[in-house]
Amino acid sequence: MHHDGSPMAAGLALQRNGKGICRVSSRPENGPQAGFSQQSRNSDRLRRLFGLAFEYRRECAGVMALQTVLVLLTLGTLGLTGLGIDYLSWCVNPSGQSPGWPFGIEPPRQWSPGFVIALLALAVVCSALLTALMKYLNAAASAVLSQKILIRLRTDLYTRLQLLSLRFHDAGVRSSLINRAGSDANQVRQFVDGVALRVLTVLLTLGVYLLWMLRVHVGLTLACLASTPLLWLSACGFSRVVQPAYRRAGELSDELIRLLVENLQGVQVVKGFAREQSQAEQFEGAAIRIRDQRNSIFRSLSIFQPAMGMLTQFNLLVLIGYGGHLVIRGELSAGSGLFVFAGLLQEFAAQVAHITNIANSIQASLASADRVFEVLDEPIEITSALNAKRLPAIERGIELDRVCFEYVPGRPVLREICLRISAGECVGITGPVGSGKSTLLALLKRFHDPASGRILFDGCDLRELQLEDVRKASGMVFQDSFLFSNSIAANIAFGRPEASAEEIAAAARMAAAEEFITRLPEGYETLVGEHGCGLSGGQKQRLSLARALLVNPSLLLLDDAASAVDPETEQEIRSAMEQVMRGCTSLVVSGRISTLRRTDRIVVLSEGRIEAVGSHAELLRRSPWYRQLNELQNPGSEPGPIVIPFPVRTAARRAA
Amino acid sequence: MSHAAILQNSLTRHIEREEDRQRPLDFRLIARLYECTAACGSKRLWLLLLVIIRALQLPALTWCLAGVIRGPVARHDTAGVLTGAGIFAVLALSTQIVLHYRQRLALELGEAVVCNLRSRLFRHIQKMPLRWFQQARAGRVISRMTSDMEDIRAGVQDVFYVSMVQLIQMLIAAAAMIWFDRLLFLILLVLVPVIRWINHRFHARLSAALRNMRESWSRVTATLVESIVGIRVTQAFCRESVNIRAFTELAADHSAWNTGVLKTQGTFQPLLELNSQLVAGLLLFAGGWRVLAAGSAANVGDVVGFLFMSGLFFAPIAILGTQYHQALTAMAGAERLFRLLDTEPDWADPATTQPARIVGQVEFRDVSFSWDGRKTVLHNVSFSARPGQLIALVGPTGSGKSSLISLAAKFCLPTTGSVLIDGHDTRMLDDLTLHRCMGIVPQQNFLFSGSVADNIRFARPEATTEEIFRVLEQLGCRDVLESLPQGLETSTGESGCNLSSGQRQLICFARALLADPALLILDEATSSLDSQTEHRLQTALETLLAGRTAFVVAHRLSTIRRADLVLVLDQGRIVERGTHQSLLQAHGLYADLHRRFTSD
Repeated sequence: MHHDGSPMAAGLALQRNGKGICRVSSRPENGPQAGFSQQSRNSDRLRRLFGLAFEYRRECAGVMALQTVLVLLTLGTLGLTGLGIDYLSWCVNPSGQSPGWPFGIEPPRQWSPGFVIALLALAVVCSALLTALMKYLNAAASAVLSQKILIRLRTDLYTRLQLLSLRFHDAGVRSSLINRAGSDANQVRQFVDGVALRVLTVLLTLGVYLLWMLRVHVGLTLACLASTPLLWLSACGFSRVVQPAYRRAGELSDELIRLLVENLQGVQVVKGFAREQSQAEQFEGAAIRIRDQRNSIFRSLSIFQPAMGMLTQFNLLVLIGYGGHLVIRGELSAGSGLFVFAGLLQEFAAQVAHITNIANSIQASLASADRVFEVLDEPIEITSALNAKRLPAIERGIELDRVCFEYVPGRPVLREICLRISAGECVGITGPVGSGKSTLLALLKRFHDPASGRILFDGCDLRELQLEDVRKASGMVFQDSFLFSNSIAANIAFGRPEASAEEIAAAARMAAAEEFITRLPEGYETLVGEHGCGLSGGQKQRLSLARALLVNPSLLLLDDAASAVDPETEQEIRSAMEQVMRGCTSLVVSGRISTLRRTDRIVVLSEGRIEAVGSHAELLRRSPWYRQLNELQNPGSEPGPIVIPFPVRTAARRAA
Repeated sequence: MSHAAILQNSLTRHIEREEDRQRPLDFRLIARLYECTAACGSKRLWLLLLVIIRALQLPALTWCLAGVIRGPVARHDTAGVLTGAGIFAVLALSTQIVLHYRQRLALELGEAVVCNLRSRLFRHIQKMPLRWFQQARAGRVISRMTSDMEDIRAGVQDVFYVSMVQLIQMLIAAAAMIWFDRLLFLILLVLVPVIRWINHRFHARLSAALRNMRESWSRVTATLVESIVGIRVTQAFCRESVNIRAFTELAADHSAWNTGVLKTQGTFQPLLELNSQLVAGLLLFAGGWRVLAAGSAANVGDVVGFLFMSGLFFAPIAILGTQYHQALTAMAGAERLFRLLDTEPDWADPATTQPARIVGQVEFRDVSFSWDGRKTVLHNVSFSARPGQLIALVGPTGSGKSSLISLAAKFCLPTTGSVLIDGHDTRMLDDLTLHRCMGIVPQQNFLFSGSVADNIRFARPEATTEEIFRVLEQLGCRDVLESLPQGLETSTGESGCNLSSGQRQLICFARALLADPALLILDEATSSLDSQTEHRLQTALETLLAGRTAFVVAHRLSTIRRADLVLVLDQGRIVERGTHQSLLQAHGLYADLHRRFTSD
């Protein structure tokens, strides 16, 4: 059973966040590359799955013990009722077959038949009550077992995901990761309680029933169960037919949702070009395809179910005919014979139906196991070395020594970068799209290790330092200023959740964000992000800056931080930043001359190489690219192609 | 753990009110759903017939079984047993045949209804004004189209027909039992209210537990999604261990709710099943005493028959309970769906005769406008544009530029004043007539998934490949799009993820140029591109604008410079108007903005 909300709900969560995922993911540098290393074989997967079950052997044994008691109790209730019937017949007609008392325990002769019947009835009632209690205990024990495994799997997956390097995260498996920790984890734990334990239960149940039935009458048992293999075969055949059909149904439904979402998001385009009619026809086509496909599933379903029903009833038919005949000949009692048989046959059919479910579960569990184990087996590339040194703050400076980097082998993104930045210096980095500016900052954060060359903080290779120290040494403002769906205060305090309200306010003040925050109705407790209130690009940018400042970094990395800000705000941020940057080393990636001019030194990157380094005035002389950039943004006389983001409009009001 | 504690530790605060899952039975909704099945009238009739037949067959089968046991078997009549088995075989076969058709017809009926409703809903949504799309949440609209539809389908397919079969079956079983033994039946009847009460409690508790479980699950997924999307931020700020702790708590919390659901099911399911076993005990006791009192063998058979029939009587109760709750769920779905279908569009197409072509003369006469009826975003805007003119809109965020272009495109109607296109009030113009002569380039460069060629062809699907190439050559960017991995057949991916922003913008230009509109609405993208791409875009834009009336929300100086009229907006008013040069000389807001950018 799938108890994790509807898959639909999870799907929706993805839909809603789809935009966000796209925004951050596709980096031009690396193509869609398979994120995982190896495919494991079936036997390996099975071994690991059974290993998982074995880790929870105590809980599993408990569940199995309860199951055993349950099977016996079911048999007991049925048997006692049958015995009651037999006893009644015998009382009425003492010449007939005497009831077969279990274990030879016969009631004393002096007990009146009424008293015996009352006792039997009481036993049935007690056994029924006990069954109910055991069923409850069993359900509770299974629930505890399955949830224990689930928590463990999800936590392991999440931990791994948090620690895996950005190379893994950027490889384009982002949306599937969410399903891996969600439904795939659930499928894997289903292997334990839905496959391993279920197989044992079914075997146990079938075995016990079969023994009981054989004990009552061998011939009748064989006759009644003759059709069982047929039952099983047809169930397996059916699931083989229907499984791919259900998968196809899922794809068709995705198609329908895609059309709907595109028409919601692209409503201006659809209406603007008067394409309502053709879009409606496309959608109708998708709806009709779903209808027809489902009808074909239903057609096989409505053949299969009656056929299964027919087979089960065939068994009853045999029971009436042959069993009736046996009762008449006195070889079988009506109660513990015929009546119990009828009950057991029904239970038997139910158990056989389980087997087909189990077969499907195994398939699903194995496929999910692959996806889950892939993540768990993925090596964590970037960690602290064993005897890593500590670095409380960068005091002397940073050095890049012949640093090369590539996301995909053979396609270098940075080549032989040599750069020395002394403490307190402010360096601007610019260059065309794809020249490696953001990658350079990512290396300083040690999101990746260079392919060759070294990066040194205070003369120490980053790989020899504590990872946490390297990352905490710098505060970073990202290009897209991603905020979490949480309060403003929590977002600013992201890097130091224990920060006090005063510290948060101080950081906000430095980032020129305090004013707009206090004007919001709920101030610092206002919710932002995907589910919160809409902030303008400039406001998000300032919160992102405050978040970086709160950790009190000795190095500040700004990735095109002013790109989405309107001119008034930019000036505000700039003056705030100048104060902040006075104390610490900073690297500023920007495409704006106005920002670059304020730095001590500007580095122009081109195709992963340093094309030129120098001040604004020097670069105007030395770098043709920089000269062109300057010309575009500060046009003298020539009206050329102009890139000035004139009053930048932010998507303040956008269709949800 | 407490709810407050979760909030404090979690990475995200996921707050989304869940929609009601159930609502009471409502005759009007049922009637409307019934209307929806009108298209399949004959199917509906056959179904009804089959349902009644099936409701009679099921008790007949059990009756036959019980009859054989208490009759021929008890009498030791072999021929009778065989006859009984024969009757049973025939009955069983016919039952399964009826089941096949009943299922198939019901399922097909449900699918037909859903398919029709989906098309209706989609067409209805298309008629909604832009305002509606800005407020609507995609997730909610998707649930109307998917989960609500599923609930309605289940309602149409199952609830009515299954309940009817079960009800009739119960009645017949009751009648048969009364016929067997009146007193025993009365004993049985005592249990009915108990079962009803258990059923009721069970469903109330279960739906509460499920609700909590779903809410905790949505917290888990929200956190998971943001953790993955925001991994850069997490690693940059060394938040991994804090996040892991928070997630572990969330996962444990979700699992605790999950365990709650499983335990609720584990409590009530056995309780319901317990009934039939208790009945067996009771029947054995009561029946046994009567048999002993009467001392007749035939009565033993009655007890056995009774035991079989009692199963027939009790099994439907649980099924009816489930069906009842499914009906309530279907009601909630139907209510939401019909509420959306009943939302009136802001305007209907006018009945007046329409102009054959639109030249592109646009005039705003004293237009004021408000999206929500409360906050006015445009105040008394008046201006006019001659065919072929370029109107650039400039102003800070929230100054009303988007509202103005939405009015010009008739995505909304002015609150007061009027917008005239070729001298016709937009209120008198048919949406399609206007939009066929219009083209739009939205700011986000929205592309549909499909190939690049499909997107360019969007406005004119019948356009040939030669026409597309001609358009691309006019724009001077044939080589850019042809150099894509699969040329024009390259897939755009979901929301155009595979293409760079420059490429996407060029595709949007080509889409608009192929439509050859008289009136063009263009919201310039703000992202700065590298200079070469930028240069190509400028040239392409020149081609696109030539000879059309165009409204451009302008971010680039080059566009503003060549505009015939620059409207400077501030807080919903036109504060300055003129050409680039005249505005610079006016030394107003525009000149100020311009100075801040260019000289630094």
